Amino acid sequence: MDTKWNGMDNNPGEELEYFVADRVKAALGEAKEKRPGGVKAGIGFLAFFLGVTLVLQSLMAVGAQIAWERDLTPSFFTGGWQETESFRAEVAGSLRDFLTLGAGGKLDIYDREYWEFYDGLAYDSVIMRELEDTCLAQEQTRAGVAEVQRSPYFLWKNFDTGSAVSESGGAYLVELEPGGWQTVQPESEREIPKDANYQYDKNVIYYIKGGTGEDQREYTNAPNGDKSLFKLRTNSEYNFYLIFENGEARIYKDGVELDVYGGGFYNEESQWFVPGYENFPANEQLDGVTVYMAVRANPVRYYSVDYETGSQYSNNRMYWIAQKVEQANQFYRTQAALCGSGVLLLCVWFLLRRHKRFADAKIASWTVHVWTEARFVLGLLLVVCLICGRGLPEFYYGMRELCWAMDDGYYFSVIGLGMSFLRLLLGNIPVLLMLVWFFWLIHNDHRHNPKEARRSLLRPFLRALRAKDLKRPVEKRISRRAALFVLMAVLLAVEMLSILINMTLTGYPSWLLWTVYLLPVLLMAGAAAALARRELGLARDLGLLADQVETVRAGNLSTPLKLPEDADLQKTAESLNDIQAGMKAALEEQTRSERMKVELVSNVSHDLKTPLTSILSYAELLRQEDLPPAAADYARIIDEKAQRLKGMVQDVFEVSKAAADQLPVQMERLDLAKLLRQTLADLDGPIQRSALTFKIDLPEEPVMITADGKRLYRIFQNLIDNALRYALEGSRVYLTLNTSEEQADVSVRNTSRTELPEGVDFTARFVRGDASRTDGGSGLGLSIVKSFVEACGGCFRVETVADLFTAVVTFPLSM
Amino acid sequence: MNECILVVDDDPEIVGAIAIVLEKEGYSVRRAYNGLEAVDQCLDPAVKLILIDVMMPKLDGLSALLRIRERRNLPVIVLSAKSEDTDKILGLSMGADDYVTKPYNPQELVARVRSQLRRYTSLGDVHAEERSGQIVNGRLSYDPAGRVLRADGDEVKLTATERKIVDLFMKNLGQIFPAEEIYRRVWNEDAFSCENTVMVHIRRIREKIELNPKEPDYIKVVWGIGYKMERHG
Repeated sequence: MDTKWNGMDNNPGEELEYFVADRVKAALGEAKEKRPGGVKAGIGFLAFFLGVTLVLQSLMAVGAQIAWERDLTPSFFTGGWQETESFRAEVAGSLRDFLTLGAGGKLDIYDREYWEFYDGLAYDSVIMRELEDTCLAQEQTRAGVAEVQRSPYFLWKNFDTGSAVSESGGAYLVELEPGGWQTVQPESEREIPKDANYQYDKNVIYYIKGGTGEDQREYTNAPNGDKSLFKLRTNSEYNFYLIFENGEARIYKDGVELDVYGGGFYNEESQWFVPGYENFPANEQLDGVTVYMAVRANPVRYYSVDYETGSQYSNNRMYWIAQKVEQANQFYRTQAALCGSGVLLLCVWFLLRRHKRFADAKIASWTVHVWTEARFVLGLLLVVCLICGRGLPEFYYGMRELCWAMDDGYYFSVIGLGMSFLRLLLGNIPVLLMLVWFFWLIHNDHRHNPKEARRSLLRPFLRALRAKDLKRPVEKRISRRAALFVLMAVLLAVEMLSILINMTLTGYPSWLLWTVYLLPVLLMAGAAAALARRELGLARDLGLLADQVETVRAGNLSTPLKLPEDADLQKTAESLNDIQAGMKAALEEQTRSERMKVELVSNVSHDLKTPLTSILSYAELLRQEDLPPAAADYARIIDEKAQRLKGMVQDVFEVSKAAADQLPVQMERLDLAKLLRQTLADLDGPIQRSALTFKIDLPEEPVMITADGKRLYRIFQNLIDNALRYALEGSRVYLTLNTSEEQADVSVRNTSRTELPEGVDFTARFVRGDASRTDGGSGLGLSIVKSFVEACGGCFRVETVADLFTAVVTFPLSM
Repeated sequence: MNECILVVDDDPEIVGAIAIVLEKEGYSVRRAYNGLEAVDQCLDPAVKLILIDVMMPKLDGLSALLRIRERRNLPVIVLSAKSEDTDKILGLSMGADDYVTKPYNPQELVARVRSQLRRYTSLGDVHAEERSGQIVNGRLSYDPAGRVLRADGDEVKLTATERKIVDLFMKNLGQIFPAEEIYRRVWNEDAFSCENTVMVHIRRIREKIELNPKEPDYIKVVWGIGYKMERHG
């Protein structure tokens, strides 16, 4: 009943809420139609998209540049192409050739690259282009070089063999695949050039003098053999000079002499690999050899054709070195420009970021339709595209290098490993960018769309699986998960072990590898076993705890939960036991107090009634005596007041019982209209005797409710009694029974004899309309009515408007 | 007459007051102040009726009642401060012949005592009456042939309408009749707003047959349904 009243009261409030919600929706709809951020949102999103793409692209390109070791150092970092490692290596190599020529030795220029490696100089991709430029016979070697570049292992282990083979002009031993050696045969025998003149880069001009007397040798490629050029130290065309005299090299750049030998010993920090160090002295073969070199400030390409053979030669090493640096500059300039424009676009986005959110939401409203599985497949596809390009072999090489390095303790570099990963990641920048935007779309979708809105083919299946899982006890669920984890750990361990065995069988025995792999495997197995044992224990305890919670909820408060001393949940179990004990104590206390209350009520009632019985008995006896008139009057008063006391004691007893929820009711289906008629008939005498007019309005048809008939009689008897007692003499009392669809309302209205106080709860105990309390009532009438009505499942309320007193009893109709 | 009545209550004043009233009516009174005394005294064959309180020291009234019932067959009226229906039903089911709640009306108490004694001593065998075609219901017996109603053996004077109502009730003990039904059967007219009319007659009958017309034992209102003649053992 209560809820029904509340529901009726709330209806207007709800309507208001709906009204407001409608207004808000309408306003939002208008906003949408106008699209205040329509264009701005588009621009904002476009700026965001392009900005992020450009910035990321340039960063990735630079990263890839670094990862692929392209030695594209921009000139503004190093101060021009002549500051590069390649340039210095080229100068040192050329000097060695010139010195060899000066010393009267034979020269095989094709071998030079290997020696450069051997001396730990950085290999330069320029040399590969140079070789491409120079001669066809080198093609095969180039393949070998390419392989050599990738494999320091090969260099370190087999360089002696390689050089020996090449010296003998025979086959090259080239490693093409791990574990297999392949022999590459040059197409034609290489020739030793007759003249150095056209073999050398004409961007370098030289003058070589060596030997004495008849043996005196002089080589130069200076225009008209003009040696004076070398004296200048600087020139508009040539700005780099190297002079080797008396076993010592001097280098001038832009007219300034450079420090060639540093501390005098050649080491990793030395820049010039030229003879003259204490640990790399110019030997006696170089006695009397003088070399002058000058290098063009801005190299150009030279071409020459040997018309004897018809082959074209060109050696433009310097040009390519300079060209490469220029390319690098170009590259970094381009990337910087792209990055800068990206940042500018991001600024635009920042200004329009509020509007861009509309675009995000719009995109999210499209992406929400894509199935989760489709997203997953797309993501997987992108990842596969990314790593299956150039990146994967690079990564593979990187890992193999690492293996070899670890195997032989030769070389281990975290940076190298990182580079391998970078190469794997940056192998395909467009795909990487697509992947980035793919993840942004996913993120955007997850931010704007609730989990429920996303579509998935698998979800119903997973949900059913989860529902099925939930039916199992909690300890089973946890132990299943733990078992799954252990199984995965075991599989992983087996997998690693098989890889290790496979590697050992294919010829890479390595105690380091075994240690590196086996140690974690054993550790993991141990950890998994320990974890599983702990998990299973925890799962068991958790199951016990869950069962105990259920038990307590079901009302069993006597058996506490016993867990092992060292259990994870020991403290929780103790707390639960405390709660259980507390509940038990509270429940016992409550039961005891309820029982005491009821006992108290009946004891007090008994203790009041016993003396009252005596008083009434003797008052009655006294009245039968022949008394003087005054004494008879006193006896009558005693009797009357004792009678009233009797009524009050009975009322107090009933109210107290009702307050203790101990009011027994016998519910039955009955006709409320008939009950009211019977009550009125029963009280016909007092009604007729009163000076009041009763206006009765009862329906002819039965009004069926379910209640306790005797209590109902008391209810209406009290209400009518109340009207008889307090209504204004000669006024009318209205008793009406109204029925609605679900309930029946009985109202008794009367005009009060005295002024009704405001703000008084008439249904509270011992409350009366008048403060004097001299009338015959106990002040419990309406309180009894309220208690009885509620005990029968009805509602009682009192309304007062000025002197109009209305009591309303409401019962739900019984169908 | 001078029948002996045993009055048992732990409150001597109540025993005294009851004794005065009963002695005025010509009964002799014995007194007991707890359950054990009551059990002792009831063995005296002179005792013809027992008035016993429920809440007493040593042995409470209901337990004493059980022991008395083992020894004697005599009317017992329980006198109790417990006024709930459940208490009344409990007392009657334990073998009490009547149940009077405190504070009692002395006149009503005397009437009940008299009624019980008459049923046990003066009146003939219940079964003999039933064999002669009479309907017996507690204090009431009704001869359907002669349409004579007796209460405690005394003929009750009834008007024609009252007689018809009594006839209906006595022939259908325990059956509930709505006011309309009673009106139709008694007045042979269609019922319309008949509740008051029926009630007036029922009230008059009650005044003639009930010991306390305000708390009737026989013709009862079944609230919200109708009226019935309560069946008594």
